[in-house]
Amino acid sequence: MPVATKTKKLTFKDFSNPSEQLAHIDPEDLYPLPPPYDKLEDQPGFKQLTEEARSKFEASLDDTMVLNIPKPESKEEEERLVKLFRSGLEKLFTRENNWTFLQPTTLSMEHCARCQSCIKDCPIYEASGYNELYRPTYRAEILRRLYFKYIKGGNSWWKKFNNGDIELNWTLISRLCELSYRCTLCRRCAQSCPIGVDNGQLTREIRKLFSAEMGITAKDLHEKGSVQQLKIGSSTGMNDIVVKDNCDFIDEDMEERTGIKIKTIWDKEGADVLLIHNAGEFLAWPDNPGAFALILQEMGISWTLSSDIAGYDGVNYGLFYDDVQLARVAMKHYEIAKKLKVKKILMGECGHLTKAMGVTGDRLTQAIPRENAMTFIENVVFSGKLSFDPERNYFPVTLHDPCNMVRSMGIVEPQRRVLRYIAPKFREMHPHGVRNYCCGGGSGWAIMSQNNFLDWRIQVSGRKKFEQILNAFSNVDPGPETPKYVCTPCSNCKGQIRDLFDYYGAKEKSGLYYAGLIELVVNAMTNVKENFIDFEMM
Amino acid sequence: MAQFAWEEISIEVDEDGFMQEPDEWSERVALALASTEGVSELTDEHWKLVNYLREYYQKFGIAPMIRKLCKETGFPLKKVYELFPSGPAKGACKVAGLAKPTGCV
Repeated sequence: MPVATKTKKLTFKDFSNPSEQLAHIDPEDLYPLPPPYDKLEDQPGFKQLTEEARSKFEASLDDTMVLNIPKPESKEEEERLVKLFRSGLEKLFTRENNWTFLQPTTLSMEHCARCQSCIKDCPIYEASGYNELYRPTYRAEILRRLYFKYIKGGNSWWKKFNNGDIELNWTLISRLCELSYRCTLCRRCAQSCPIGVDNGQLTREIRKLFSAEMGITAKDLHEKGSVQQLKIGSSTGMNDIVVKDNCDFIDEDMEERTGIKIKTIWDKEGADVLLIHNAGEFLAWPDNPGAFALILQEMGISWTLSSDIAGYDGVNYGLFYDDVQLARVAMKHYEIAKKLKVKKILMGECGHLTKAMGVTGDRLTQAIPRENAMTFIENVVFSGKLSFDPERNYFPVTLHDPCNMVRSMGIVEPQRRVLRYIAPKFREMHPHGVRNYCCGGGSGWAIMSQNNFLDWRIQVSGRKKFEQILNAFSNVDPGPETPKYVCTPCSNCKGQIRDLFDYYGAKEKSGLYYAGLIELVVNAMTNVKENFIDFEMM
Repeated sequence: MAQFAWEEISIEVDEDGFMQEPDEWSERVALALASTEGVSELTDEHWKLVNYLREYYQKFGIAPMIRKLCKETGFPLKKVYELFPSGPAKGACKVAGLAKPTGCV
């Protein structure tokens, strides 16, 4: 069977036609990165899927595979799956099954003018060398054709001609499912659409259909993610005993390094603030929760963490793939805040957490006020209650804008006002703010590495961000002797940026480091021992 | 899921080469897994790290914080990377027979 390549333009018909592989990216198709990362031969290369993986799972989309969808064992099984997909498709467009997103989904289905204004804004499409498969409107058009054919109905020649025909079979279904994991839901395309068609949201609807109706999900998001979170307490696998033990350690470590005695507070009823972090912070970036504890204490704010199931883990991966899981986790957070009778929830430095708790779960949690970390930190810094010496942050700093918090929620300026004050060598990436580029690990990809997907999310989806970071520091000493700080106020983005830096050896070659916003605040506090930010330890 | 074989050792591993059945871990298994991480010999320093990880894992069921690992073994992060080039989570934990870390870590 032939491999469709970039020399042959991919059609919509190809999507249902069985072939070995629909699209392929050669390392040479990828635009060059700035030096010293410009030489292909110095880079780790691109691992291929194994023959074993290809023979066991549906891998006919492209070079990688996230979902490991088993091949149907019989014709009957295949037919059953096609039927299931059709029923899922119908549910997507009925009010009783999809009241949450029916309206935006239908509007995006019916009103795209196919002007293609959005496609130039997709970092994946661009990094892929403009491979047709990754064009945001290609994926959306597959769904649109299914919508017109099976939901709106009409087999007349005019309707087929007008809306475009499509053949629904298992080949299409398995590819569409995998293709919904070749978009980070960054919604840069939605922003550039003159009429607000949202291809990112459509991608999420596709993921939702597969999760809710067919039980096909990314293991890291579902089984190890939201299911584990609701069972054990956290997607990291930490139960309440482990998280408390870790916080004891963080308290001690903070005291040693800052000279200020810290006490993390648990389950305090009637506290003003319930702080909910992405639990990954406790394990991978403990300075961040440590810095929050220190600031809350120094500001004299009455605060608490919760040791209930999901109370110490604000992740809500359902935002990326499933409304029911989204609601289950959102309800937990809400119930815990109610139980503790807090005045508000302070959402830690995490983009999707902030969006899930602050916007998407709003109808569930609106009874409890929620504050995002950026405005909280701004209020702290300009409260006049703490004393800062910005010279303590005298190293180049740039800022990454997490898509969920910045583009999707419009939280743009607070973090910048803080940085302009406490980081004398702050510089912007270009473009930035709501025009930012995704880290390349959005929609949960930062925690996915199965098969060779790590290579893909570094070299393809993360390419733009790595290029932007390098360019932001192009006017300073490029060597490792000058540490360069990428302020990344999001746990998911931090995971991706860490993987980018590890992959290219960017710490050793260029002195690139990353961490959150609040660490810079603590580092500049005059009553804290110097060098709280310790590049040796990062 | 795949079968990984090395000399007399044969174990189930996931897509990233992490053990599926941590109970089957042995010192020989550690050597086998180290070979996939570009580590041909396990020195006393390697064992100190691996043993710390195993003890923590047996007590708490997950991998420790990296900061804690560094502090309690006395190895700076740089040293951990020297011992296990793909780092504490991907390299050292794998050799110690821990499951792959989950969540945003």
